[in-house]
Amino acid sequence: MLQVDTIDVYYGGFQALFGVSLRVEERETVITVGPNGAGKTTLLETISGLLRAKQGKVSFLGKSIDNEPAHKIVEMGLAHVPEGARVFPQLTVFENLKIGSYIKRSRSRMTDTLDEIYDLFPRLAERKDQMGDTLSGGERQMLAVARSLMSNPRLIMLDEPSSGLAPLVVNLLFGFVNTIKKQGYSILMVEQNVRKALKLCDRAYLLESGRVKLEGERKSFLSEDYIRKSYLGI
Amino acid sequence: MSILIINALVNGILLGGVLALLAFGMNLIFGVVKVIHMAYGQCVMLGMYVIYTLTELSHVPFLAACGVAVVVMAIWGALLQTLVINRLLSANRLNQLLALAGLIIVFENLAHVIWGADLRGVRIQMPLLSIGNVFLRTSNLIAFIGALIALAGLYFFLHKTYTGLAIRSVAQDVECSKLMGINPKTIYLITLSVGGGLTGVIAAFFSPIYSVHPQFGGSFTMMAFIIVVLGGMGNLLGGFVGAFIIGIVTSLSAVLTSTEIAEILVMTLFIVVVLMRPQGLFGIRQSR
Repeated sequence: MLQVDTIDVYYGGFQALFGVSLRVEERETVITVGPNGAGKTTLLETISGLLRAKQGKVSFLGKSIDNEPAHKIVEMGLAHVPEGARVFPQLTVFENLKIGSYIKRSRSRMTDTLDEIYDLFPRLAERKDQMGDTLSGGERQMLAVARSLMSNPRLIMLDEPSSGLAPLVVNLLFGFVNTIKKQGYSILMVEQNVRKALKLCDRAYLLESGRVKLEGERKSFLSEDYIRKSYLGI
Repeated sequence: MSILIINALVNGILLGGVLALLAFGMNLIFGVVKVIHMAYGQCVMLGMYVIYTLTELSHVPFLAACGVAVVVMAIWGALLQTLVINRLLSANRLNQLLALAGLIIVFENLAHVIWGADLRGVRIQMPLLSIGNVFLRTSNLIAFIGALIALAGLYFFLHKTYTGLAIRSVAQDVECSKLMGINPKTIYLITLSVGGGLTGVIAAFFSPIYSVHPQFGGSFTMMAFIIVVLGGMGNLLGGFVGAFIIGIVTSLSAVLTSTEIAEILVMTLFIVVVLMRPQGLFGIRQSR
């Protein structure tokens, strides 16, 4: 469903990604792990159209999207939950969710989707009139994920949803991601919390210094010596 | 003396209403597009000339002329966005400021070439209202009520419609707004059109009160800018409160001292506030 084909991405003269290829199939959960500065955020931002690849192709549902602006890509059903949640601080929880359904095809379904979201995340229903910046870190991540669901996406990209959260909240958050996975959404998640992220996934990629160093099904990925030594500490 | 003060207070509040509308437009544009529309008062001036031309030279009824002015000024705002501001978005702050201040010269001279330097006014007689010993000009009262209605309408637009919500999202986080499926360029265009239409509305309220001349806009741009900074740039509530503070201080001190000293007092108040609270009275919190 998502196909990233040997992309090179630059920030000015600095090259951040080197020939990165990746794919996500229908209903699949794919995790990309890697250290800080490996290019994980760059990868997601290039897919969602916030950045442009200098070389290579990105296609979604069979259509090339590497020249589409970010707002068009959302309309095609690809949602991106950015790093740090980026909840709108001066919008209420309800307004944050409502703006998630901004694209044409989601507006008419807005109230139905909202009911589903409130069932899924009752905490958000309790806080619907609170301003975004009064939420805790975990609630913000929850809201950001819920907001992306409001656009009725096919594929959701999550950028380090667990970063900066307390361990208990991290467990809660991975619980939510699991719930979404069971709802049948395809997920591409970038994470530093390798151990927990790998439990959820079907396949995984390891990104280091802007290159894909390893990839594979969950089991084979977990049994790689390099992953066990460097990332799981076994 | 106390009657004079009450009169001044009432007139200050009435003035504050229209100033609030003026500041709202400048504030909205700053909050969303992050540029300071230095020629905002000059757009009001052009709107007043549109109304003057239609009513006095083409004999169009006043209200119809006002309607046309709102539409013309909204289109003018959209043109300004497309031809000028759009090209300045990635420019540095100083260049943005200089280019937009340059528009003051362009607009004033445009008015000069088309309508000349003479005072031009719309001839409308409105009675003086009196409540006890307090005297009000009907035109000021209409402007005040009209401004409050316009502000309520804008509040509704920003809070209850998808477009309004998108405008507020873009003001808070442009990049993230794109991920919601919002095209910021479209939102900028809508914002400038709304801000432009607002200069037409203000022109309609001003036309029965003031005569227009090419330099008419200057003092109102200044006034709007002072209010916006006083209230906290980009903060719409701050601008609303600031407008009434400036309106009341201006008319009270004009009665108690003289018009010249009133201007000095307003500027002094402004400088004191900026010294003590550089972010303005209701300065936006620096989140993230």
